Amino acid sequence: MNIDFTKLFFTFLGLMIVLNWGLLMSAIMRKIGARVAGRYGIPWFQPWVDLIKNYAVRSQITHGIMFYLGPVFRLSGGVGLFLFMPILFGSNLWSNFSFQGDLILILYFQFFGMLGMALGAGEGGQPHSFIGISRGLSQFTTIEVPMTLAVISLAVQYHTLSISEIVAAQQGGIMNWTMFTNPFATAAAMLSLLGAFGHSPFDLVKAPNEIPIGPPTEYHGTFLGVLRTNAAILHVVETVLFMNLFFGGASNWFELIIKSFLIYFWSVFVGMVFPRFRIEQSVVWFLKVPLILGIIAILLL
Amino acid sequence: MVTPIFIVATALGVGFAIGVLNKFGRNFTGALVLAALSFMTFISFQWFYALTFNNLSEAYVFTGGFKPPFAINLLMGQYESIATLMINLIGFLGAVYLYKSLKERGSDAQVVYLILIMALNVLVMTRDIFNLFVFSEITSVAIAGLILLEKGTRSISAGFKYIIATSVISTIFLIGIVFAYFITGTLNIDDFIGISLSTYKGGTIVVFLIMISAVLELKPFPANGWGIDIYEASEAGFSAIISAATTTASLFVLYKIMAFAGAEWNYYIALIGMITFIGSNLLGLKQDNTRRMLGYSSIGQVGLLITILGFKDILGENAPFIFFGILISHYFAKAGLFWLSGIINASNLKAWSIIRKKPILLFLMGTFIFALIGFPPFPSFFAKWTLVMDLVKTGNIVWVIGILLGSLFEAIYLFRWFGYAIKGDAEKTEEYKIEFHKIIPVWIVALSLYVLGYFIAQYNEFTSVINFIPLAFVALIFAIDFMPVLIKNTIAIIGMIFYFYTIYPQLDNLRLIFEVIFLIGGILALIAGYLHKGKRIGFYPVALLMYAGLTGILEAKTTLEFFYGWELMTAGSYFLIIRGKRSMTHALSYMLFSLAGAYAILTAFGIASVGQSTWSLSIINNIQYIPLWAYSLLIIGFLTKTASIGLHIWLPGAHAEAESDVSPMVSAILLKAGVFGIVLTLIGMGAENNQYSELVYVLGWLGAITALIGNLAAVFQEDAKRLLAYSSIGQLGYIVFGFAMMTHLGWLAAFTYTINHFMYKSILFLTIGAVVLRVKTHNMYEMGGLIKKMPFAFIAVLISIIALSGVPPLSGFAGKWLLYNAVILKGWYLQGAIAFFSGIIAFLYLFKLISSIFLGQLKDNHRNVKEISIWFIIPIYILIVGLMIFAAKPELILQPLGTMISQYFPEGGLNWNGGMATTSIGYWHGTHIMIIVGIMFAILFSWLAFLSRKAQKVKQFNIVYSGERPFTPETTHVSYNIFAGYNKALGFLVLPWITDFWTLTTNIVHDISGFVRRIYSGNGQTYLTHIVLYVVVIYFVFFN
Repeated sequence: MNIDFTKLFFTFLGLMIVLNWGLLMSAIMRKIGARVAGRYGIPWFQPWVDLIKNYAVRSQITHGIMFYLGPVFRLSGGVGLFLFMPILFGSNLWSNFSFQGDLILILYFQFFGMLGMALGAGEGGQPHSFIGISRGLSQFTTIEVPMTLAVISLAVQYHTLSISEIVAAQQGGIMNWTMFTNPFATAAAMLSLLGAFGHSPFDLVKAPNEIPIGPPTEYHGTFLGVLRTNAAILHVVETVLFMNLFFGGASNWFELIIKSFLIYFWSVFVGMVFPRFRIEQSVVWFLKVPLILGIIAILLL
Repeated sequence: MVTPIFIVATALGVGFAIGVLNKFGRNFTGALVLAALSFMTFISFQWFYALTFNNLSEAYVFTGGFKPPFAINLLMGQYESIATLMINLIGFLGAVYLYKSLKERGSDAQVVYLILIMALNVLVMTRDIFNLFVFSEITSVAIAGLILLEKGTRSISAGFKYIIATSVISTIFLIGIVFAYFITGTLNIDDFIGISLSTYKGGTIVVFLIMISAVLELKPFPANGWGIDIYEASEAGFSAIISAATTTASLFVLYKIMAFAGAEWNYYIALIGMITFIGSNLLGLKQDNTRRMLGYSSIGQVGLLITILGFKDILGENAPFIFFGILISHYFAKAGLFWLSGIINASNLKAWSIIRKKPILLFLMGTFIFALIGFPPFPSFFAKWTLVMDLVKTGNIVWVIGILLGSLFEAIYLFRWFGYAIKGDAEKTEEYKIEFHKIIPVWIVALSLYVLGYFIAQYNEFTSVINFIPLAFVALIFAIDFMPVLIKNTIAIIGMIFYFYTIYPQLDNLRLIFEVIFLIGGILALIAGYLHKGKRIGFYPVALLMYAGLTGILEAKTTLEFFYGWELMTAGSYFLIIRGKRSMTHALSYMLFSLAGAYAILTAFGIASVGQSTWSLSIINNIQYIPLWAYSLLIIGFLTKTASIGLHIWLPGAHAEAESDVSPMVSAILLKAGVFGIVLTLIGMGAENNQYSELVYVLGWLGAITALIGNLAAVFQEDAKRLLAYSSIGQLGYIVFGFAMMTHLGWLAAFTYTINHFMYKSILFLTIGAVVLRVKTHNMYEMGGLIKKMPFAFIAVLISIIALSGVPPLSGFAGKWLLYNAVILKGWYLQGAIAFFSGIIAFLYLFKLISSIFLGQLKDNHRNVKEISIWFIIPIYILIVGLMIFAAKPELILQPLGTMISQYFPEGGLNWNGGMATTSIGYWHGTHIMIIVGIMFAILFSWLAFLSRKAQKVKQFNIVYSGERPFTPETTHVSYNIFAGYNKALGFLVLPWITDFWTLTTNIVHDISGFVRRIYSGNGQTYLTHIVLYVVVIYFVFFN
């Protein structure tokens, strides 16, 4: 592997853009949520303030080495997804390390952070962490079912597992987007996205007010700062994944910002409307309509 | 040469002499009896040797100097010499065993015993039908006499019923003889053969009467109530003689009568035998009295032998080999078991747990049971093999099914009994004494079985290829079993390394993969055995037996060698499994599923050999006769070992209850034998032009569903080893699924899974097993927080669960990536989606496993536990190195694998460009991903380490918990039923309806057995009615 420093620089720059856009986007979404609830909401720069505060906290505690590694795993998961994701279509510099692995790598690398985080939180020994993790994992299994079917459907449709090539195949007009060429796969995947983003009705994992904040209950200070950093990156990267797969990708940053905002907004929008599911309800929910849509997407091939 | 008449003369002479000489005391007369019997044995042996090895021709002996029909003539041919040798030998050994018993009963009993043996000899040798009648009467009277000498009303009643029944049978026999003489004017059997008796008017009736009485003497089911009672009521030594010697003689009588009865009888004889074999073994299922159960088993074995006699024309020149192979195994084994039952003196099966106070008796008992069921290296294995092959070749598959069904019934009750002996609750603790003269005969018959097994394997060119070197090594280890673990373990490891070194150049790449898993995996698992102190009696021989079998199936060039290895492996693994605590029922179900699977394989090999001139294993590549059935049978047989859904119920218990270092042997290693079998079968089915797409389609679904159900069931386990066991079921599901795809990528994925599963499941079972040794519980909710105490164990589990879950960058991802590509290119989308869903479910149980044990709250009673033993850490970390190499340089393994698979699937493989693997749709660079993730992880870790460098380490319970310190880890550690919500949502998928199905099947079979058993009312009149009805029914069946 020859080291291309220009590319490394662009990759780092991209990460910073994604991080800041992720923070801004989360502020906007919280603001929207507050307005829907009739509140005024936070200032737009609140996430930066929180982040700086968290990183600056002076007294911190740790429960052991795995507790320590949890956030590292988590952030590696987020950054890793970014690294293996082609961000802008047609740009070699913004395609990161996506030529080292395909869509399957992205799908499975999601678990890297999840698993590490779960273990780190586990060493904290906080019961609420365990409850949150057990819910999160349970829910995640069935979220992935429609997603898997959609991915298979796409791979067969485009005869590739390369995200760049899938984006390339959607160029040349809006009607070439997967959304229109394969609506059932898109529908299945977009429903599964609701679970992946963990907004209501699928927010039992963190379940604010019930089990403090679920898995990261014991994390504070820099640990929490790392987790918040990751959340910002991850939200953007995951929307970029959906954008690439179903909505024609993006050829410039502006397009990326618009599309990722809309995709993310979809989950927030649904979250505003529906109340929280219990875990057995949400687990089964993904095996109903989304699963059927996924199967139709497969059968129509 | 001593003429055979001296057999009779000696017995009679000594018998009369005892009447005169008994004043010298019973020891003297007893010695005289022994001397007479040994001389009789010598005569038979001399003839046997001369007829067999010196090409002596058979000899007639004429009594009184006249020729028939004026005198009786005896024949000593080859078969006669074998039969009389068997009778006299067992007579001699029986006399040794019964020495004290006969002495107590007095010189009369000694004489009766001697006369019985003599009469049996004459039954074999005589060529005069009336003489046959006379000596069968003498036999009956002698047996009844011996039974009646026993004290107690039970034996009197049994003896009486026996006398009545045999006299009815004799009457029928006599009527037949009278008519025979009336219409032919001769009583000589050879004359009957010459004139073909059944062509005479009324001749068929005559033959019928004679034949039916000969059959009835053999106690055919169901007209045999009178015969079973005597096994139960008489002393063990007599039961042994009746079962071994009398049976031999009676079968020989039937053989002689069949010689002149005509071929039209063969079918009916075979049918009678088959009904007896199946019926008697079915009834054996419900018995809890040892002797009675052995009686059923004896009658069952006789039924099988009768069937073989019925097939003697079809079996042709193999018939004597098959007949004597099974007869001799039965003869030695049953005599041995009856004798043991006399030594142990436990009438109830469950009470046999006292036998394990003397492990050497357990060894003898195991020898006999395995010989009866037809395991290698015993003669019955080769005989049954030849029988099945020949029957299938001649188109008698239905009969094969009958034979295998009966054998399975027999295996159920014999192995259940054996299970009680090895693992049953010891109720009685009383001591028992082994008398020298009683145990010597048992040893002789047991050793004879091994020796004969070795010699019979040299019978012809196709059986003589068996490689006995591994078995010899097992025998060596058995011989030094008294030594400490340190020595035996070292010798075992060195032996296996040496064997691997000598064998690996001879293996192709496919077999080499499995040989590495079997032997290198075996060596690593054995290293953990150094933990054990003391002698660990019985462990090393059986572990090595399993490895001998495993390597045997890889080295096999012929179907016979393969099956031989397969059965050795089954036997070894059975013993390994039953060593675990509470393993009795699991070992039994393992054995039964394995046997049923083995029988399916055996039948398939038989079908494959139709129309072939060779026994080479390659015949399964070109099956000409009902190939779909043959392949289905092979696959079903191998799926019992991979524990696919429906055939999996033996696995969780067997793996979970096994000892800590045995679990990886029977999980990570043993299951791969089934995988190897499936690979062979699929290669046989022909990758290129696959006509069996329906079969592999079904197999693919089966694999996917197995993966789902196995993984889902693992989620709901509280026992850590049970969780891993269910996980193995799921993992093997992927492997089966991958192979079923029958594409290059599918196979590559399946092989990747095979190798990975071997590594991470070995690591997990070893680590969890080692943890269990420390914390003394399997229940995960009773552990917690052990990361602080066992960091090495934690790291091992962490790495292996990352690999198992398929998270990049570790090697599990290679499997997932290949499987995705394979599924998409194959077009098995829905099955594939199920398989991937199962893969994600794995996260649930993996998290539960690691977090419940190592994370969360440390329990108060574990505050002083230590790190797992170094003897476990060594093999675990060797395997981790292997796992990491696979992850960092996947091409090192995947490229050679691809080359190998190209032999079968030349198209559609991976393209390699350096470390970059591409398919027509995807790409993946394992090494670079590893480097990228590693660097990123290191940077982020340093960053966080810098930021939180002042973080203070706090003690347990110092958590954000409603403002208090939860000092009870039991209530704070969330582990028990952690996935309750998931259970509520999807738990219905893993309701144990398959277990229920098998339970129901078992119950139905046992209920049938219990119902049929009621015909044996114990009433002598009822038994007579049975005999008469039996005669009538056979009459109408035969004469239509």
